[in-house]
Amino acid sequence: MKFLTKITFFFYREYKLNLSGVQDILTNIIFFFVSIFIFIFSIGPDKETISLIGIGILWTLLLLSSTLSLRKFYQDDFENGNLLIIHLNGFSYGFIAILKTLSHFIFVQIPFLLSIPIACILLNISNEKLIYVFTSFTIGSLILSCLGSISSSMNLMNQRNYLLGSVIVMIFSVPIIIFSVGIINLEENFYSLTNILFGILLIVFAINPWASGLCLKLSLENN
Amino acid sequence: MNFLVNPSKFNEIADYIFKPILILSIVLFALGLLFALYLSPDDYQQGSTVRIMYVHVPSAWLSLLTYGIMTLYSIVALAFRIPFGFIFNTAVAPIGAVFTLICIVSGSLWGKPMWGTWWVWDARLTSVAILFIIYLIIIFMNFSFENRVVREKVVAIFILVGSVNLPIVKFSVDWWNTLHQPATISKLSKPSIDPSMMTPLIIMTFAFMMIGIAIAILRIKTEIISRKSYLS
Repeated sequence: MKFLTKITFFFYREYKLNLSGVQDILTNIIFFFVSIFIFIFSIGPDKETISLIGIGILWTLLLLSSTLSLRKFYQDDFENGNLLIIHLNGFSYGFIAILKTLSHFIFVQIPFLLSIPIACILLNISNEKLIYVFTSFTIGSLILSCLGSISSSMNLMNQRNYLLGSVIVMIFSVPIIIFSVGIINLEENFYSLTNILFGILLIVFAINPWASGLCLKLSLENN
Repeated sequence: MNFLVNPSKFNEIADYIFKPILILSIVLFALGLLFALYLSPDDYQQGSTVRIMYVHVPSAWLSLLTYGIMTLYSIVALAFRIPFGFIFNTAVAPIGAVFTLICIVSGSLWGKPMWGTWWVWDARLTSVAILFIIYLIIIFMNFSFENRVVREKVVAIFILVGSVNLPIVKFSVDWWNTLHQPATISKLSKPSIDPSMMTPLIIMTFAFMMIGIAIAILRIKTEIISRKSYLS
């Protein structure tokens, strides 16, 4: 019971932190919409073209805007020592990675999911496809959170090359993009592609605590 | 086999075998190029462009092999705390990157006359391009950390995570219906290539392997020296 209380307090702390920094999340969403505008201005406001490539634009922009907030994933807690305090309270590094991934999904990715219907209206994607869009985005953004955890924990001690973390996330998200866009565009293959995406999610979710935990431990020991 | 994990033993063995390997690689290159350019026949469809294969296929094999060996060394180094694995990873990553680049460029030059395009977004080509970018990230990571212990272990973890790409590269031609042809030479079945073309291919593969080993020996020795000066 004590363990569950600790987890509850962890999420309460994350909620407080994210609430005080809510303008960061809102800036991310504004970045998302402004990029959609820029895409549409550069392509031209032709309805046929936009609805053809809209899904690709949505996914690209979700990926780019979720890599924007990557530096904040562990960096603040690492620098003010909260990561060590959480670890001393009885959480292993791997478990901290799982909790941080879930909190990133809840507090950063869920606002994106809520703004997707508006983006679908802007990009002229039909309402029947909305359920497919939501399915692929929910699974895909959880995978992106796991990848973000891995890459940002790798780059905790990296003081020179900040962009490397974003590049790592983007290079590993290629299969996710392929299958998620496939879910939306090939509706007859919905179940098989969803299963493949779930499989990728399980693999990444299994790798995540191991890789991130090891990197967190290394960085804290050598800081 | 102790010299594969022990730096001082490696230095001893490397001093013995470096010159023979260099001479062997030169001889094999001369022999292989002779076979590839003059003695092997033209393809009945592709004509003389088939000779690009004698550069393309060995470099592709060796790019995968290099990454595989790096993965093995990362596991060994992380699990058994053997620092030679980290030395090996730092030293060998640029060699793998160069092999991958040779593979991509020669394949592109081969694709233009045969497929009519320099590049297609086919599964094999894309996964090899991703392999190249993973090599580049490994090299950049080696330059961007200040703490050496963290750098080596983080790079090893990244190599392990990136190794999910290897089976995708290998089996992409079987899993997806690609423009790139499936593997011609496999372990389980008789190769569907004529012996007159098989011979130069094997010789060129060994020549590439020997020149790779020679450069790797030089780089590993340099890395050992720099590590000693850092530790002392």
